[in-house]
Amino acid sequence: MFPRMRLHKYTWIKIIVKKLKYLQMDPKIPFQEIQQFLYAFHILKLKLQKGQVIIYQFIQQKRNNSRLMEGILKQQQELLGMDSSKYSVEFMKNGTDKQEHQVLSCQSVVKVLSPDDGRLSIVQAAQQLCRAVELKEKTSKDINVTVLDSLLRESKNIPDPDLVLKFGPVESTLGFLPWHIRLTEIISMPSHVDVSYDDLFGALQRYAMCDQRLGK
Amino acid sequence: MSWIRERELSFIERLTANILKAGPMPKHVAFIMDGNRRFAQKAHVQRQEGHSQGFEKLAETLRLCLNLGIHEVTVYAFSIENFKRSKEEVDGLMELARQKFSRLLTEHENLERHGVCIRVLGDLTLLPIDLQQLIAKAVVATKAHNKCFLNVCFAYTSRHEIANAVKEMAWGVEQGLIKPSDVSEVLLGECLYSSNSPNPDLLIRTSGEVRLSDFLLWQTSYSCLVFQSVLWPEYSFWNLCEAVLQYQLSYRSLQKAGDLHREGQALQQMEADRCCVAELLQHRGNGKPMDAQSRQKELLNYTASREERVHCFLNALQHKRDTAPFLPRRAAASV
Repeated sequence: MFPRMRLHKYTWIKIIVKKLKYLQMDPKIPFQEIQQFLYAFHILKLKLQKGQVIIYQFIQQKRNNSRLMEGILKQQQELLGMDSSKYSVEFMKNGTDKQEHQVLSCQSVVKVLSPDDGRLSIVQAAQQLCRAVELKEKTSKDINVTVLDSLLRESKNIPDPDLVLKFGPVESTLGFLPWHIRLTEIISMPSHVDVSYDDLFGALQRYAMCDQRLGK
Repeated sequence: MSWIRERELSFIERLTANILKAGPMPKHVAFIMDGNRRFAQKAHVQRQEGHSQGFEKLAETLRLCLNLGIHEVTVYAFSIENFKRSKEEVDGLMELARQKFSRLLTEHENLERHGVCIRVLGDLTLLPIDLQQLIAKAVVATKAHNKCFLNVCFAYTSRHEIANAVKEMAWGVEQGLIKPSDVSEVLLGECLYSSNSPNPDLLIRTSGEVRLSDFLLWQTSYSCLVFQSVLWPEYSFWNLCEAVLQYQLSYRSLQKAGDLHREGQALQQMEADRCCVAELLQHRGNGKPMDAQSRQKELLNYTASREERVHCFLNALQHKRDTAPFLPRRAAASV
């Protein structure tokens, strides 16, 4: 029924939730909008292999995080019923994030990120390396892309997204994981409100047609 | 051919430019000039010819940007990943670069007239030595120009650039110029290859690909991204206008986002300073609690001394870059 899609083992999808919208509106509303997306995604997910979803909330201040978390979990229960154990939701906290559950299992993970998880994570890794240099555990010559990359993976176990689905009219990544998106395909969609299964599937088909030459 | 083409706008083009200029205009535009090889295939010419036409288009686009009042342009000319291409193609691209940088040294007057300052960003140590020296001469020759800026990313990837910036800060710590706690988002930005430029307002990628390919990942976090399907050697004034229009449509949201981000940065810095002061006072502490006024004074002193440290470090870093090893001694002396 579904054509074979050339998808990587971990297909990450991300939503940018436009900050302005949420500051002005009743905090309850985000849950309803995310509900539709999760539902559409749920149907799609049954056809995909292992997958993970990141929800990126462009909110500077840490507002209502626990309410958002509660809301998402509640929606999960309502929508997914029996399947809800297949999904786990977590907030990425700024700083070290020790993963208990393996993301390599059939579980799908919803992660909620903010701009602090982007540049600020890189700055924190840089501070860590500088402290090591101060204590003479390392020299500046030891620092390269690999070292920095592995340090970033240690603190936040997020693989590089293959695909970013960007919702909303603002044509920007708005600080989303700058280090991780070097090869990520960025597909824009008009809005996350009333997003349909067909819209999502269409975006995934577009992704499948991308030809990554990786410099060659 | 020349680095900057003479290209006057037609009446319709001038009219359009004036209409666009009534709205907010980007001051710095970055281009991923993709599609040279596909163009060559389409036009049934050699790949090398595709790259050559790509360079011509760069010269023309630079002029078009100037006509639109865009005074800074950054282009992705050659990625570190491109070394994976066939030896023939890589050698061809190096040869093209040799020709163009040599040409640059001969058309000094033209560049002076337009006030074009050319900078080359990337890990130049990966390039053949003779090309490194040519580039060094070209950069030195146009260093004093300040009407418009062309930043050419050559042997560049963004991750390398960020890792290099971290390395430079670590060097600063090694030299005793800064402390690890001085490391911040702002400082990292100052240690990037692109530290002399503001962040791009607009990033344009041609040929229909919708990824960043390791280009300016840090600097374009709050930039307008426009992906256009036209192949680079076919890029036109109208394509540029379309991209600028897209920028204008996203302008207000991006300004707000950028302002919020900067506010957040300032708050974070103040918080970090406060923590450092608290730690210092604890160390120094004689058990007596400090009143708010003295604490505030200590905070201001600490901030001032941190800024001084950072200023000295950045000067030392600039000096290190200006006297880079591939600059022949005579050229270094004249800098």
